[in-house]
Amino acid sequence: MVNLSDREISAAIVESCRAGDRDAFRVLYDLYKDRVYSISLYFFHGDRSEASEATQQVFLKLMTSIGQFRGEAEFSTWLYRLVVNACMDAARRRRAEPIAADRPRLEAFGRGSSQEDDYARAQMAESVRSAVWALPTKFRIAVLLRYFEDLSYEQMAEALHCSVGTVASRLSRGHRMLAERLKDLVGTKG
Amino acid sequence: MLRLGIAVCAVVALALGQGFTFTIGNPVASQDFQAKSAAFVFRTEGCADPAKSQIGGTAEGVVKGARRSISLKVVATSRPGVYAVYQNWPGEGDWVVNLKGTCANASAGAVVPIGPKGFVRESAKFFPRAATDAEIETSLKAIAQGGSK
Amino acid sequence: MTMFTRHVSRQLGALLDGELAEQEARRVETHVAQCASCRGEREQVQLGMEILRRLPPVEAPDAIWVGIEAALEEHRSRRVWAIRWWRLAFAASLILALAGGTYWSVRRGAGQWIETDSVSSITLKVGQIGSVEIAPNTRLRVVTARPGEHRLALARGEIRAKISAPPRLFFVDTASGTAVDLGCEYTLNTDEDGLGLLRVTKGWVSFQWKGLESLVPAGAMCRTQPHIGPGIPCFEDAPESLKKALETNSLDTILAEARVRDTLTLWHLLSRVAVEDRARVYDRIASLTPVPTGVTREQALKLDPETLRRWKDELAWTW
Repeated sequence: MVNLSDREISAAIVESCRAGDRDAFRVLYDLYKDRVYSISLYFFHGDRSEASEATQQVFLKLMTSIGQFRGEAEFSTWLYRLVVNACMDAARRRRAEPIAADRPRLEAFGRGSSQEDDYARAQMAESVRSAVWALPTKFRIAVLLRYFEDLSYEQMAEALHCSVGTVASRLSRGHRMLAERLKDLVGTKG
Repeated sequence: MLRLGIAVCAVVALALGQGFTFTIGNPVASQDFQAKSAAFVFRTEGCADPAKSQIGGTAEGVVKGARRSISLKVVATSRPGVYAVYQNWPGEGDWVVNLKGTCANASAGAVVPIGPKGFVRESAKFFPRAATDAEIETSLKAIAQGGSK
Repeated sequence: MTMFTRHVSRQLGALLDGELAEQEARRVETHVAQCASCRGEREQVQLGMEILRRLPPVEAPDAIWVGIEAALEEHRSRRVWAIRWWRLAFAASLILALAGGTYWSVRRGAGQWIETDSVSSITLKVGQIGSVEIAPNTRLRVVTARPGEHRLALARGEIRAKISAPPRLFFVDTASGTAVDLGCEYTLNTDEDGLGLLRVTKGWVSFQWKGLESLVPAGAMCRTQPHIGPGIPCFEDAPESLKKALETNSLDTILAEARVRDTLTLWHLLSRVAVEDRARVYDRIASLTPVPTGVTREQALKLDPETLRRWKDELAWTW
């Protein structure tokens, strides 16, 4: 995945988006869509419908509230704050719903996918996805954000509305929980 | 013996040809909110690997006596093998949607008439190959004459 | 050289990510070298990072952009009256103003009533996600108006909602249930007694009340009653005899008149009829369209949720 720095997201593109330039918005969308979708998809354990909802929500909010981006924080930090909010809000809604809503079946990854022809790799990936899903939401969003976006701890603190120390703690604990769950699958060192 | 051979060949041919088909439905069937404004949705069946199928089609119509053909806007939904068809043809005139697809060596086709209230399921026709021009024209004539059954 | 006497669990991730200042990183490393427990935890964190590398990135489907474009297009092409809310000490009257880009004000809008007279209708913009046309003789209240939730309470009258947003952002409460938008256009009307009628023209709506839910797709309608909640949905083009039979609870007629498409009605009936009648409803659905793999009669009659959901998913292709 391309990881453009914000210096490459020129002020002109953001300004154009603010002016309602659909082409500029499409540029932004194309730059970030896969990362946003991937984070959402793994956050919701492969639920493509939820991931699509969250992704669309993020970009609609981005487009309609881009006037609020004043440039004091980097653009991607602001964007990922939207991603965190969308994922965490949806997670809270799912917990709060009293009846079983009409949720589409989780799509089994790797089934028929050209990316994972190897059965063992597919099984491993499924185990990892399940382990990520088992993380508490605060740890889950932190590890996914770090992994897919490679934000600095300071940027993550902004996106997650917490301190740098809390980011460090959540990442450490999140990674250790994954290791604890899957150590037999991946193999421990020494 | 010859009859048996022919029968076996017929069964095999039937089995092979029966594989790949379309089923059309109301957008609710996709369970994908992004398809809510679609004209209709459809799914492929009998395709071992939906990700490798090729799907497309045209909207065929007659507007003020002039014959029109427009490339169809077909978008994959979040469910493998399920697609949404969005209306990109004008509201005036008589229209049918001509769907076609391939999966490995199999083909499928469908002609779906569009009425004033949306797609006309009862008049849709399905084929084990792309529809012929004659089949499309037949459906168009039926729609133009107000026939929906 | 200072050695940490406290463990450094919280800093291990930052150490491996290169996020610690040089001096602190040295101190943490020194501690780890001499502390088996922290050494073990560092290996765990390292393993966790290694595990995450098994997650491949996934390409976003094209449908997402199509949905965004559609939402932006509707947002741009709609001409609306912007409503500016003022705190009103007495009257329930409105002040209408045409002001481009003015939306419900969270500070002012929530809690305020809107009431139209016998000849006026107005259109409200719902944040960035759609609009609501309010018919004459309608009274409703803005309950919430914020990006994560837009909620109205319809006391009486009729509204027509056109929403272009992910599901579950827009809700309309009535005395007999809540319409949960799942991405759609619909008309909802209710009278002073709470009797209501929901008609969906695009997408689909979930009408919910105290655990009871009716799914209403485009082309279908659903009545609601106070203290009872959402009724059984049926298609607008269903036989009149079937619609009447729904009102009079005549199961025999409903079953006899149902077409393939009316499995929408029958599926909802399955969990609402008396236990002894369930088998008849099941058999009727099964006679109209093949029962999918994974759905058994036994589980369906027990109203097993997964079974019913699976069956609905398949039946939806006939609606």
